[in-house]
This record gives sequence, C-alpha cells and structure tokens, in this order.
Amino acid sequence: MDTSSPTVFVNGELLKLYMGRRVRTVVQVIRNEGGAVVGQSTDNQQLTVKGPNQSVPVMHFMEVIGVADGPQSIRAEICTDFGSNFDMASYNGLCKLANGQFKNLFL
Amino acid sequence: MYANHYDGGASHFHGGGFMPSQATQTPDQAGSSKTRSSTTSTTVPLTIKQITEAYHLNDERADFLIDGVEPSLVKLLGRVLNKAERVTDVSFLLDDGTGSIEVTRWVSDSFDTDEMTKIENGMYVVLIGKLKAFQGKRHIGAHAVRPVQDFNQITLHFMECIHAHLDNSRKATAVPATTSAMNDMRAYQTLNVGTGASGDIREVVLSVFQEPASLARENGLHVNEIIRRLGLQEQKIREAIEYHVEVGNIYSTIDDDHYKSACNG
Repeated sequence: MDTSSPTVFVNGELLKLYMGRRVRTVVQVIRNEGGAVVGQSTDNQQLTVKGPNQSVPVMHFMEVIGVADGPQSIRAEICTDFGSNFDMASYNGLCKLANGQFKNLFL
Repeated sequence: MYANHYDGGASHFHGGGFMPSQATQTPDQAGSSKTRSSTTSTTVPLTIKQITEAYHLNDERADFLIDGVEPSLVKLLGRVLNKAERVTDVSFLLDDGTGSIEVTRWVSDSFDTDEMTKIENGMYVVLIGKLKAFQGKRHIGAHAVRPVQDFNQITLHFMECIHAHLDNSRKATAVPATTSAMNDMRAYQTLNVGTGASGDIREVVLSVFQEPASLARENGLHVNEIIRRLGLQEQKIREAIEYHVEVGNIYSTIDDDHYKSACNG
C-alpha cells in the first residue's frame, strides 16, 4: 500500500473532483455483480467498486480505499467490512468538512 | 487511581484509563481533554498531517506547537502497517489517510505484550502517546494502542480533531487587551501633531505642574488654576492635561479636576 500519498475522504458528490487520485469512502453494499460491488454512498448515490476483497455481505457497510477512476467508480485497493452499524450521515458530514473548511488538517 | 466514583454514571466512561485522573467532568470527551486542573497533561486528537506540519519549538526538548497548544499527549487513529516485534518494543507505521508516522510501543510487562499481540497489520487502531522528534524525524512513543471495534470511532476521531483544532485556534486568536497599545499609538500620533501651538501649550502646562510649589501640594493643582495662571482656553488646557495623563507625566488625584506631576521635579 502506498503510504506516501494522502487519501481524501469523499462521498458520491466529491468523488468526481478527485479523479485519478487516491480516495476513501464508505458505501453500503447493495449487490455483488461479478467482479464489482455496487454500493450506496453516504449521500445516496450509487457507486461501483471494482477490485479484490469483495467478501463484504450485502447491507453491510464497506470502507473502500482506492483510486477514483470514474465519476461514480472506484478501483479499490483495500476494502474493509465496517459491519452493519455505521452512521452514514456523520461520515457524510465529515467528508464535507474535510474537503471544505478544514481541508488543511487532512490534505 | 480514579477513585472518585461518587458520579456513578460517568465512571463508565473514564475512557479506558486514558483520561487524566483529575478529570471528573465531560466523560464523553474521551481523548480531547479540557480539564480545568492546571497539573493535567493535555491530550489532543490529531491527524498525522497536523503532526508533520507542527511547529517544532526546540530540538533538544522536542516540544511541538499545534494551534498554539503544546500537547503532552496525542491521540491518533489509523491503520497499522509494517508491524515489527522486538524484544523490548513493538513498532509499526500508522497511516490515517492524511499521512503516516512511526510508532514505538515499549513492552515491559505481560500487560503490554498482550495488548500488542492483538494488533495486526491492516487493523484500525486508536493510540495515545507522546510526540517526539529525533534528528528531524517525528515519531510517536505510544502509551496505549487499542483496536477499533466500532468503526463509527473513525468518524468520531476526525470530528474530534476538527473540534480541538477550532477550540485551540479560537483561544490562540483571542484578542488580548489592546487598549494600552492603542494609547501608545495615539500618544505617539499626537506627539507628531504636537508641533506648533499645541506643543507649546503642553510644555507650558507641564512646566506649571512641575514647579516646586505645585509638587509640594498634596492634591496637585486644579484645572482652573492652570487656566487662571496661563490665561489660555480651558479646552486647550484640558487637552494638554489629557495628553500628559496618557503619557504618564501627570495623574489625577482627588477628582478629575486635580492633577499632579508624576515626576519628582
């Protein structure tokens, strides 16, 4: 894992601003489609996650760390099962703050 | 150690022993201490980016300044990488998405080793430790490392970082008493302006105050006496008196109309 570049906290809306960059987000798994997972982002957009570690069960929350390769798609490097109890609204708020007023603390 | 159990509910939230022992209030603020005791250490939740950008005060003492605060302890949350177990210590790299930093956890008894065996690469952990620098490179000496079990803690930690940052920044920019500076400024400006007529009046007024007879008077001189002596307009004399009070040459005694020279003549 490349530890030198920071990963940006994004939601569906912010993902398109960081094309080609390492991002991190949490989605709720909706379904598995072959090699990709379709998930709902913290701001209710549908994102597609390609890559390994697709063993997160449906309806669980999954953290994705990877490269944004489309306005609604991430090529994942690491996926982590965040369980079934995760506050999407707070995470969404954090994404907005970390990219807005407090960007200097994160990036 | 934390023997004050008179507050039954709050004792559940002592933060796993990471709260400073004098903390008996705000149990929900685990990690970002705002305790009032002056002897407690400050624990500040931080992102690694904040650490890499912190202002390093002094190479020997390894004190850092972040948002105007010198934290004794820092709280970090991130993934464990490159865990290496040695005889006396366990070290790893902590990556929280904003940067990465080397962490060392010294293990001196079985409690420590048990704590560290649970930690594996790729795992999210919370740690409390001391920020240090050695030859320009920063690293953490961890006092405690715990796995994250509820992932909402990740959101919470970064929210705490933002909150602590806002709090400390606000304190750092709290406006100190600028009135004395303003007075000096004004005095300086009036000094520049005080050439010509008003300058002369001031000098004359001051000289009256500094006469031995005036100095001998316990309550100084009344403004009207000055007016009578000099035969000048009251307004101008009051202005001169005001100027001298500001720069400290004279001071008011029994009321606003009596002034005396501050110099001993």
